[in-house]
Amino acid sequence: MEREKKTKRLAQQGYLLTLLVRRNIKNQYYRSFIGVLWTILNPLLNMAVMAFVFSSLFGSDPSITLDYPLYILSGNIIFNIMRASTSGSLPCLVQQQDMLQKTKVSIGLFPTANVLSSMVTFGFSFIALLIVALFRLAVGKYVFTWHIVMTIVLLPAVMLFSLGLSYFLSALYVFFRDLEHIYSVILTLWTYLTPLFYTIDRLGNETVKRFMNLNPMYHYVNYFRDILSGIMPTAWQHLVCYAFGIGAFLIGYLFMTIVRNKIAAKL
Amino acid sequence: MKREKQPADGCLLDVENVTMKFTKYEVGVDSLKELVVRAFKGDLKREKFVCLKNISFKIYRGEAVAVIGRNGVGKSTLLKIVSGILKPTAGRARSYGRISPLLQLGAGFDGNATGMENIYLNAAIMGYTKKEIDAKLQDILDFAELGDFIYSPVKTYSSGMLARLGFSIAINMEAEIMLIDEILAVGDMAFQKKCYDKLTELKKKGLTFLIVSHSDSVRDLCERAIWIERGRMIADGDSEEIFRRYTDAMMNPEKQ
Repeated sequence: MEREKKTKRLAQQGYLLTLLVRRNIKNQYYRSFIGVLWTILNPLLNMAVMAFVFSSLFGSDPSITLDYPLYILSGNIIFNIMRASTSGSLPCLVQQQDMLQKTKVSIGLFPTANVLSSMVTFGFSFIALLIVALFRLAVGKYVFTWHIVMTIVLLPAVMLFSLGLSYFLSALYVFFRDLEHIYSVILTLWTYLTPLFYTIDRLGNETVKRFMNLNPMYHYVNYFRDILSGIMPTAWQHLVCYAFGIGAFLIGYLFMTIVRNKIAAKL
Repeated sequence: MKREKQPADGCLLDVENVTMKFTKYEVGVDSLKELVVRAFKGDLKREKFVCLKNISFKIYRGEAVAVIGRNGVGKSTLLKIVSGILKPTAGRARSYGRISPLLQLGAGFDGNATGMENIYLNAAIMGYTKKEIDAKLQDILDFAELGDFIYSPVKTYSSGMLARLGFSIAINMEAEIMLIDEILAVGDMAFQKKCYDKLTELKKKGLTFLIVSHSDSVRDLCERAIWIERGRMIADGDSEEIFRRYTDAMMNPEKQ
């Protein structure tokens, strides 16, 4: 009886989660002018512009093992999982406050939905990446290897990391409403501090290199580029990626659990 | 708050010695900037603030109870505790039935989603499964009388349409307890009448109401009232009498 109730509750929460994810994706893309096509076009256009601007600056860098357009695209779509999850999650509890003031519901579901919908967006972007890779294959600039399937090993780590950060930010935003502006600055800085279009070798600075190891997104982006260029990531890389992911998840989840009652009072 | 087996005496809400204390900064700090600046100045005095003190009451099946009091005396906090969102500092609140909240006009809707999507989304947030919502969908649509507009984004709705949709969702889902926070003052006369008629009909069916208000607009619906002043329960009893005393106290504040 007790167990039955629990499964029913879980099923209900799963249903709510799918509704939320569907809503997010619809709001993001389906209602825009060219609809779902935009999910694929968006990273492609981005890549085209960046490749055009930066290829003469960094394109011939010997430390890039990947074709330059793919180098940019791969970095961007991995980084975008985190960016889209967190910037969507930041205001999500406050946006729902009318409902949350009156209804008992697990607040964690709302940031989770944002992370899941950014994973769906990643799926579409991944298709874009495959299209570009096929084009580059045709001109002999890229070779497919089986390593590309390792993406499914990388994704859970990125997801956990984004989840933790999203939990933390959405809860903190309830108390500090100026976080929105602060976080958008942080996000911009973070984008430039991650080698998305440049390489750290190019910076030629040992301190920066050491500092870069503290940037989780650097490790995720690196891992993804390695598997795309047919290099098997080391055990150490796996460990680092998952340590950051699990660590962030635990911190975020704990923070949200601890301040739950304060959130309820403040909303 | 756990939903438990209902006790035999028909008690649906059991609030026992509920006390709620908040620690808050003396000056409202709601931005990081302010927190940092004040921390540097050493200007962060915290203050314990008792919002509700020793509130106890029981609400039985079929009752319609109004919680009255001025703005800021803790009525909304009490509602949050009753619906299990907020854990009280001391005491406990138990509910033995499903709670359906009636939100303010248009609150809780996603403007970009269609009316239909919002029905499912809102009901799912309230804790209903897809099956349960499907079963009630026709009733919700019938009462809301939105026609084909139900497939248009909610942001294109007029305020009357929003009110109809919100009200329709709240009353048609199968709940035992209805929480209403200051809602009936909105909407046009015809719609208000329809709402009151529906609420009266539901009351006859045995639905329980808990209505929060700072005016006597709900006097006709409720037969019992609880008066809260500065976090304390001042009176609990027949609504006619309490509303009279309350209005009296509001009109002549010096007599208190």
